[in-house]
Amino acid sequence: MANAALNIVAICGSLRKDSYNRIVMNALPGLAPEGMRIVEAPPFSDFPLYNADAQNTTGFPPAVTALGDAVRAADGVIIVTAEYNFGIPGGLKNALDWLSRVPNQPFAGKPIALQSASPGPLGGGRVQYDLRRAFVFLDALVLNKPEIFIGNCTQRIDDKTGQITDEPTRGFIKQQLSAFAKFIAAHGGKV
Amino acid sequence: MSDTKLNVLIVCGSLRKNSYNAALARTLPALAPPGLAIKPAPAWREIPVYDHDLQESAGFPAAVVAWADAIRAADGVIIVSPEYNWSIPGGLKNAIDWVSRMKDVPFKEKPVALQSCATGPLGGSRMQYHLRQVLTSIDAFLYGKPEVIVHLAAQKFDEKTLELTDRTTLDIVKLQLAGFDKFIRRYHAKS
Repeated sequence: MANAALNIVAICGSLRKDSYNRIVMNALPGLAPEGMRIVEAPPFSDFPLYNADAQNTTGFPPAVTALGDAVRAADGVIIVTAEYNFGIPGGLKNALDWLSRVPNQPFAGKPIALQSASPGPLGGGRVQYDLRRAFVFLDALVLNKPEIFIGNCTQRIDDKTGQITDEPTRGFIKQQLSAFAKFIAAHGGKV
Repeated sequence: MSDTKLNVLIVCGSLRKNSYNAALARTLPALAPPGLAIKPAPAWREIPVYDHDLQESAGFPAAVVAWADAIRAADGVIIVSPEYNWSIPGGLKNAIDWVSRMKDVPFKEKPVALQSCATGPLGGSRMQYHLRQVLTSIDAFLYGKPEVIVHLAAQKFDEKTLELTDRTTLDIVKLQLAGFDKFIRRYHAKS
């Protein structure tokens, strides 16, 4: 059971190509325990800004349905996000807002792990607690520990080579991913 | 100084036509003290999802510039917003994220007051406390009390016309606007 095949999708909160958080997300498959497969979820960059009138007239955009389906089908979701203005990047939050309205809401009962990298010292200390709050409403199952806050990330991640250069950081991520696998085994499954 | 007309902008966090928050926003000009002119800010609905690569290659979108210029020129801003998933609507946060990247951030030292409506019992208060956190990061000058947190909104607006009919709510909005007027003038007198 410990090595059961797990299909995880990862969502990156930043859109830019050389994002530190994207580098972390790309490193996850190499740090995952055996049996955990991690792929990037379909993008949210083209989601229109949420408008209930649009939902009620033209319905859910195909991009929203695609992400919702991927989240619903996954055994768990890892969110790797930057912190914008002490909070959740608007684009990521907009994606959550759309998905929260989808029938058979995909985050309900879904195991989630959170990670963040930031050039500042708190490493995303505010954004993750804000996300936890939104996920309470969405009835998700957010892994408590270990937490991954990569502060002073310019010293730990090389954005030219796209590598996490800090060995302790890689170690912490490995620990979290293993804990996440156990968490899913204990709490995940069909809602 | 107290004879000067103040120009305040309203930013509404909802896009839908029959929004309670939009209905509340429409009441503000009539409830404002003399000397406080209130009008809606330019729209944020066309602003694309924030992407640093886009900012670097194409610069700030026209809608972002228009929004920022209007806020920068205003004496104060009132944000009237719903709460999505226990937090700030992604679309509104996205607009804030864009303008936070400008050399001259329009919210810097700008007097800001908050209002929210919700059909539930907490009236959008979770959103407001998150928004305070976000606005603090960009150095806005946040107005305190009275707060305008309109809970059980369905009972307070006319079902057909969406006119705000609840006396208590109208009174507290009037009180906040009068207080915000004083707040702005006191700040102008000192700076």
